[in-house]
Amino acid sequence: MKLALYLHMHQPWRLARFRYLDLGSGKPYFDIPRNLEIFRGIAERCYRPTLDRLLELLDRYPDFRFSLSLTGTFLEQAEMAAPDVLDRVRSAVKSERVALVAETYYHSLAFLLPPPELEEEVRLHLRKLREVFGVLPKVMRMTELVYSDAIAHFAGQLGFQGVLAEGWEGALGNRSPNYLYESRTRGVRVLLRNYRLSDDIAFRFSNRGWNEYPLTAEKYAHWLSQTPGDVVGLFMDFETFGEHQPASTGILDFLSALPPQIAKAPHFHWATVEEAVQGPVAGGVSVEEPMSWADERRDLGAWLGNDMQRSAFEAARKAGSLVRLGKDDAVWTDWRRLLTSDHFYYMYVEGQESDADVHRYFSSYTSPYDAYANYMNALNDLRRRAVRGLSPPT
Amino acid sequence: MVGWEFPPFHTGGLGVHSQEISREIARLGHTVVFLTPFALPYDGAPGVTFRSPDDDTPIPPGYPSTYRIEEGVRTGFLTVIERYNQWVGQLRLVGVNVVHVHDWFGTEGARDLARRLDVPLVMTIHSTELDRSLGHPYTAIYDREQLGFDAATRIIAVSRHLADQIAQVYRADRRKIRVVYNAVRPPDEGPIMRREGGVVLFLGRLTAMKGPDTFLRAAARIAPQFPDVRFAIAGEGPEYAPLVRLSVQLGIGDRVLFFGKISDEERSAILRDAAVFVLPSVVEPFGIVALEAMAAGVPTIVSKTSGVAEVIRSTFQVDFWDVDEFASRMAELLEYAPLREEMSEHAQREATQEGWPDRARQTVEVYREAIREYRGGR
Repeated sequence: MKLALYLHMHQPWRLARFRYLDLGSGKPYFDIPRNLEIFRGIAERCYRPTLDRLLELLDRYPDFRFSLSLTGTFLEQAEMAAPDVLDRVRSAVKSERVALVAETYYHSLAFLLPPPELEEEVRLHLRKLREVFGVLPKVMRMTELVYSDAIAHFAGQLGFQGVLAEGWEGALGNRSPNYLYESRTRGVRVLLRNYRLSDDIAFRFSNRGWNEYPLTAEKYAHWLSQTPGDVVGLFMDFETFGEHQPASTGILDFLSALPPQIAKAPHFHWATVEEAVQGPVAGGVSVEEPMSWADERRDLGAWLGNDMQRSAFEAARKAGSLVRLGKDDAVWTDWRRLLTSDHFYYMYVEGQESDADVHRYFSSYTSPYDAYANYMNALNDLRRRAVRGLSPPT
Repeated sequence: MVGWEFPPFHTGGLGVHSQEISREIARLGHTVVFLTPFALPYDGAPGVTFRSPDDDTPIPPGYPSTYRIEEGVRTGFLTVIERYNQWVGQLRLVGVNVVHVHDWFGTEGARDLARRLDVPLVMTIHSTELDRSLGHPYTAIYDREQLGFDAATRIIAVSRHLADQIAQVYRADRRKIRVVYNAVRPPDEGPIMRREGGVVLFLGRLTAMKGPDTFLRAAARIAPQFPDVRFAIAGEGPEYAPLVRLSVQLGIGDRVLFFGKISDEERSAILRDAAVFVLPSVVEPFGIVALEAMAAGVPTIVSKTSGVAEVIRSTFQVDFWDVDEFASRMAELLEYAPLREEMSEHAQREATQEGWPDRARQTVEVYREAIREYRGGR
């Protein structure tokens, strides 16, 4: 059986407080120093130590493989705040046992915007990956692991061999996520996340109330050995290791202890997502409505669930036509940075309480109302700039 | 219950709290004897009886708000306080389990009464003299607060912020402080008359502590961009005339409505009809009025330091000195309908989640603790 460990690295450009009274003032929307400060903190707690562990594992275990995705906004911040993090990723890529995954440069919901936004953003991301790492990914994921037949179709058009998706019952019925499936588009495979086994690490690892606490690598490897199927997708945020769950929980030691445990079982093999999408398919899968990896309902509710979120996204969409009419690069970049899905996530008000806690953890605002008002101010300012063809003094 | 003001003769949170908590504690099956200095036709409730000194204590001019004005202190106000305390201290009552005093007015008498009846004293603090005087307390009042904090077995503060203050400044023992927030009754049903453009509302006593000048300065910052919006100030107080002058100086004299003193019915109608409610207080131990506005579904902007900010997440919270931020928040609420609607819906739910019955139960729980500790300590 193949184990496909895939870790997602992302940081948004968070907005500064942009007051209603700041409209037209030329004040920048994004608080660059604050974003970089946050990035440096996470690099210290998570990116550096975890990448060091992963490099060590690549060194020590010839069978160990994994996959990474790094958003464009992440790469921009890493270049400015902690270039050594990228050096570590380069070393990993050089091993040829680490695959990179393509997505939208801005970690956006561009699949909901009129073309050619989605294609442009994915191509921007591919170009950036080629510049920084010299590789061309063969597998794509959409922001927040959103998947639909349309997205698979799009992936096929761009020549991708596989797309990552949530192994959710809503799409699979009673079929197992631990097999490779064919999308509605010929030649595009769907590699699924085993959300139970993934979330055992990503969400439950440090939960003292969990009846399986504490989770050891030995126990986890045992669970894997009990799991039937061809391939297990362990997909999670890279920040799981050292940030969402601090090093003091033992999460990094767990990561280091996993490959030696896996090595004991002869039928287990690590695989990159590119390797995992090669192989026999167990059948076809069709998903009409977009399905994500977030919240209990796995829909787009986390970003577009309430009126504030929908109106903000709608406003961004409308501003897009103005931005495209103008040819101002600064306006264009600001607009795309405003498309990053995190901004909409911060405007989430409430759903199931467990979800609300997750949302609060990730929010850079004190409330969803702050997030919305601030976003709308920035966007309205951007509209004015787009209309006037002006950009703020830098 | 050793009180002071009681509806309909009240000016602030103290009176509302006294009434609601008495009514609900009585509803839980307890008997409440409410002591006040003056025999007036109060809005009573089943299970609540009122007692006042038999002699005809002259009601001081401006009652019940006198205690906020130094003028009142000079005009024989303290004589009323002394007589009240003397009377409370010597009162004959049987079957009392706990003496509960509100604010500083009756602390001395309440202490004596509790001692004589051999029962614990519980004190609720609604606001401190230090806050009301913006840092220049009147000693006679401050001392009576201190006396109460020292004598009480348990202290109830209406917000965490207030609890911290009395622990830090009055050196009250943290272990005996509990927080019981204020609440609102579910709002009256009534037609909502939100006007075209909308009204941004300030409602409260017009004193420096409530920050009405911040409200006007913020209004002036956005008035030109919102020509259909009007700004309303409801309430009376020493700052009335200066505020009218300020509105003219700021060039928004024609955009500001001064409602002056308003009745309870007018109050709930004005609150209901507002598009945005603002509580820009410099100091606000709780701020029931903001809770009322939220319960009526009005999106609200409050000072970060207000007690109500501790209870409700669905608001905008602003530093009391930040005029531009108040202005921006007003504008954002006026401009973005989805923001207004989401905030209104969730604030309403939060504001009515726990009502006075819950606060009464929490208060009775503090009584029980006080009784246990008092008996254990003997």
